[in-house]
Amino acid sequence: MSVRSIFFRYADLVLLAVLLALVPVIAADSPYYLRIATLAVVYMALTVAFNLIFGHTKQLFLCLGALAGVAAYVAAVLTQELQLSPWITVPIGVFAATGLGALFSYVSVLRGLGVIFLGIVTLAFSLIFQNLVLGLRQFTNGETGLVTRGLGFGLLDHSVSAYYLFVAVLMLALLVYCVVMGSRMGFAFRALSDDELTAELSGIDVTGRKVNAAVLGSAIIGLTGTLYGFYNGIISPSLFSFVNVDIPVLISLLLGGVRTRLGPIVGAAAFAVIEEFVRPFGQLNVLVDGVLLIVLFVAFREGLVVMFRKALGIAIP
Amino acid sequence: MTATLLDGIVQGLQFSLLAVGITLIYGLGGVLNLAHGQFAVFSGVAAKLLLGWGAQSVLAGIGGIIAAGLLGLLMDRSLLVPAYRYRGEERLLLGLILTLGLSFVIDGYLNYAFSEFSLTLSLPIASMQIAGIAMRTAGLVTSLIAVVVFLALFAFLRWTLLGKTIRSIIENEIGAELCGINPASTRTIIVVLATMMAGLAGIAQGLFSSLGTEMGPEFTILGLLVAVVGGVRSINGTLVAGIFLGIINAFASRYVGAYVAFIILLSVAMATILLRPNGLLARFT
Repeated sequence: MSVRSIFFRYADLVLLAVLLALVPVIAADSPYYLRIATLAVVYMALTVAFNLIFGHTKQLFLCLGALAGVAAYVAAVLTQELQLSPWITVPIGVFAATGLGALFSYVSVLRGLGVIFLGIVTLAFSLIFQNLVLGLRQFTNGETGLVTRGLGFGLLDHSVSAYYLFVAVLMLALLVYCVVMGSRMGFAFRALSDDELTAELSGIDVTGRKVNAAVLGSAIIGLTGTLYGFYNGIISPSLFSFVNVDIPVLISLLLGGVRTRLGPIVGAAAFAVIEEFVRPFGQLNVLVDGVLLIVLFVAFREGLVVMFRKALGIAIP
Repeated sequence: MTATLLDGIVQGLQFSLLAVGITLIYGLGGVLNLAHGQFAVFSGVAAKLLLGWGAQSVLAGIGGIIAAGLLGLLMDRSLLVPAYRYRGEERLLLGLILTLGLSFVIDGYLNYAFSEFSLTLSLPIASMQIAGIAMRTAGLVTSLIAVVVFLALFAFLRWTLLGKTIRSIIENEIGAELCGINPASTRTIIVVLATMMAGLAGIAQGLFSSLGTEMGPEFTILGLLVAVVGGVRSINGTLVAGIFLGIINAFASRYVGAYVAFIILLSVAMATILLRPNGLLARFT
């Protein structure tokens, strides 16, 4: 394959990188908008991971916040208690999240759990994580949260460099996504998301592939979670709660388009814009969120990317 | 020991009451109702409004339950119509999102308009002695109501034609349709019935201690947990699962702290799902 054809195949990613890189140039003098953009990039990375886990292998993980939180808390507590460098603790945190993700996936495939059952098991895990953090007060400082300012990488203490770091994480996640989807594993994912039994009969190791997807996704979630924990300056259970992480990611993915490369990006960006739009409603913002959720899903059920594809007649990956 | 066990059963019956609606709507409509707990809160708010207008507490309670049923009727006839156009996983996913949206709408509105709300109903006699054990009357009354409701539900499903229709749809929707059953109208009846039961659970919470507008998500999650442990399609399973988790919760709360008790409850639920993925009573209806 020539360099030229590779470029055209991934032109959308290059365009995305350029667009994201330009954001601080426009929003440089407004720390507020830069923070919003950083959060949007964090959610984009989480949604890319969720697309691998839920979109391609139909494993409804409702513990994204808990996985990110486990990684963030492990890294932060180890850094603080043992005075380790973040270069050591961040991989440990990512490893913890990856291990948990793999465990859930493996056990659920082994026990033949359906979509809803895995959803409830992982939801129960989310709640266990929340209560553990609240209960283990001596390490986690309970509801007040743990101050992580200055514990992480120096890059994360400056808003512009932190933004670029998260863009790098997002591009890494997308790179992993593209490599996986272009490989034999990607074909296996497509086959098993159509029909698992047929895939198994055609010689695809369904268990292995599902665990692979969960491992890759959880690793991305763990990495994003640890860095986000250090970036935020304080980590608390509510930062990683079901309502604050899982629901926005689920909405972003479905809004952008499941099983598309750019869906998670478009969806998370749209969600960030919507959140900004409902902020002035103050206390009523939950209500407005709900109405928007219903209206958007009745109107664009297949997601924005599929809608653009049909409306503009171009192949958006 | 016995007192804790009884406490657990009383609490477990409430869990079942909350969860059976989720089981019914899922079994019949193929939609997992994520706004179920919000119906309980809605009924409490309606009851409080009726109390404020001078209604008696029993009437206010019944009014609240009817209000929840009316909201359920509205949901079935408007919000869920797009979801019913699909079948299987598509319907499940769309239903999930639509009811999640509805739960946001109800929560957002109630928290905004009734931020100071709390419903506490009290009975004339606070507690009584039964076989040497002091029991709260509230617990006895709510358990009695729950038992009556469950018996009525079982009788309805087993002996009436409509009940048999409902069971046939739970078994196989397409098959039932081929036998000349109209799933849409049966579904409406079940959604109204299920949301009324959620409303009853909300009123019962008001009898026990107090009901606040922020309790919706908690109710939904508890209900989901119980329904799934029971097998999500089986009504007997839901009843057993509710009592089982209620007893676990009562013992855990008595012997260890609140955080740990909740963790134990969740772990037991997780373990049960993993050990019996098709529900506690997988072989029965």
